[in-house]
Amino acid sequence: MQLILSTAGSYPRIGDAPDLQRHRRAYAQLERGEISAGEFTTVEDEVVTGVIREQIEAGMEVVTDGLIRWYDPYSHFCRGLEGASINGLLRLFDTNVYFRQPVVKGPIRRKASVILPEYEFARSVSPRPVKPVLTGPYTLARGSILEGGYRSAHELALAYALVLAVEVRELSRAGAQLIQIDEPAIVRHPEDLNVLEAALAVVGRERGAARLLLHLSFGDVAPLYRDLQALPVEALGLDFTYSPKLPALIADLGSAKPLALGLIDARNTKLETKESVFPVLDAVLPALKTGPTYLTPSCGLEFLPRERARLKLETLKRLRDDYLRGRS
Amino acid sequence: MSRQKLTRLGVELPLLPTSTVGSFPKTPELAEARTKYARKQITRAQLEALEKKATEFWIRAQEEIGLDVLVDGEQYRGDMVAYFAELMGGFQAGGLVRSYGNRYYHKPVIVGEVKWPGPMTVAWWRWTQSLTKKPVKGMLTGPYTVMDWSFNDYYRDRKSACLALAREIRREVEALIEAGARIIQIDEPAISVRQEELPFAIEAMHLTVDGLPAYFITHACYGAFETIYPDMLELPVDNLDLAISNSALDLLKIFEKDPFTKDLSLGVLDVHSHRIETPAEIKARVMRGIRVLPPERVWVDPDCGLKTRTVEESRSKLEAMLTAVRELRTELA
Repeated sequence: MQLILSTAGSYPRIGDAPDLQRHRRAYAQLERGEISAGEFTTVEDEVVTGVIREQIEAGMEVVTDGLIRWYDPYSHFCRGLEGASINGLLRLFDTNVYFRQPVVKGPIRRKASVILPEYEFARSVSPRPVKPVLTGPYTLARGSILEGGYRSAHELALAYALVLAVEVRELSRAGAQLIQIDEPAIVRHPEDLNVLEAALAVVGRERGAARLLLHLSFGDVAPLYRDLQALPVEALGLDFTYSPKLPALIADLGSAKPLALGLIDARNTKLETKESVFPVLDAVLPALKTGPTYLTPSCGLEFLPRERARLKLETLKRLRDDYLRGRS
Repeated sequence: MSRQKLTRLGVELPLLPTSTVGSFPKTPELAEARTKYARKQITRAQLEALEKKATEFWIRAQEEIGLDVLVDGEQYRGDMVAYFAELMGGFQAGGLVRSYGNRYYHKPVIVGEVKWPGPMTVAWWRWTQSLTKKPVKGMLTGPYTVMDWSFNDYYRDRKSACLALAREIRREVEALIEAGARIIQIDEPAISVRQEELPFAIEAMHLTVDGLPAYFITHACYGAFETIYPDMLELPVDNLDLAISNSALDLLKIFEKDPFTKDLSLGVLDVHSHRIETPAEIKARVMRGIRVLPPERVWVDPDCGLKTRTVEESRSKLEAMLTAVRELRTELA
């Protein structure tokens, strides 16, 4: 059985130790006009390199760039779009993190690649496969203020899907094998699953050899689980921390798609144990009809202090190794 | 009904009582002193003297503006959860986590049994009340929000942590009442983040306030109010404070279906905007409440703490609010 260890998106940009504060200091210098945008990019490059190294040292086999260059999951994509601007802060789901809300006033059009250069840099410094991450079209539409250009959030989701399809095509051509699409908003709006389905079909239509991994977090995915199997993606990433019934449900219904099991709580500092994780693996793994299976944190790790994020990944590695050893 | 409770408690308030949600901006002098204190350039006693000076400034300002129920302005607090976490047993300061942009904060971690350390806000309340004849609210953060805004390394789950906190926060409520507080606000801005947890958030509030003789207000902030209504009416408090300034919520429609059963504080000033509302706008917002509830059950306040505004903006916004309320009182009399 193959259990691949991976992060699920973001990674803390700074730590409490002075040598891990580089990003924060440089950001403040940039804001004060003391360094140039180019100098700040150099610092970001170093931080991305460090974050990838840290994931690998902790045992991750597929890494992300930690989304270090993202202001937040919304404005990062919308800042450069024609037809969109960026508004004030809004709370990101049930977290204490805030994002800047996009405002769409007219037809949106992509002016430049967003993720491709980030992916290419990460790949150039990572000895392990890099998984690029995109915020999905439905979530982007749900988090946007719609003032013109489209009649509904549903239409806007399809417009975002067209933009993201180009990102996916570029990433696939550049060699990305697994691309993560984050769609947390659907968990709170299961009635819109058909909208998500249509939008994902557009996002993936030029994905080539790349596989799409749909990642759902920040809510109980159990009520949606059965219907997720029909979505036009190759794999599903699931946050288990809100869903006490999810393991039994998967055990019962199985999965035709490979799963990424978000068993490690990326929102709380408490470390997982065999007692909390092994029963879930025992229930879920026999029901999976196809692999590989990924083991991941429940969502991005930037909700945790840096040292705790690393400990979480080390815990994930130790639990995976112990589990496999116990079965052999 | 709650007005009778206030009378029983010896508190007489005019029609449409006015108040604020809790925090006022730090005065420039205090803001500078806090930076110096963080850099260890001044002593704790020096900082506290300026905190008192700033508190007194805000008490005088509230009296001049004409507010009915005053607050201490939280000049001595930073974050509304960290303030309590730093004082209570069972907490440690956590590592840095990002809030947005380049803003980071130390999120508290529950590492042991949470414990009330003795009065945390009572000395400030008592001193502030000594400065004015008007009632000063006791101001606490509720157990659900303290739990949600902390990491939990110790308790089995979120519910256990929340209920344990409730038992300890109750002791602070008792201490405030013992000192003479008659109106106590217990803020729960996080209460709508996970609808499925509302039942234990309500259970926690029962543990915090049941059987205690005070008029309780809960401020719920910018939540998805409609997602937890009408269940939130089960919160055992007298007054719910809801932000409506920026909301397109049709209260009438919501309350027609499920009548609002408590007193309602209408948050009519947008604390996130620099713009000073006109009295006419404010009157229109208050009228949205009066159309659905008898005016005897309506209070008027800003939609959140004013700490992100300047001193001048805060004053001007509140003056406009009082102008609006005075006109309405005359019209309704």
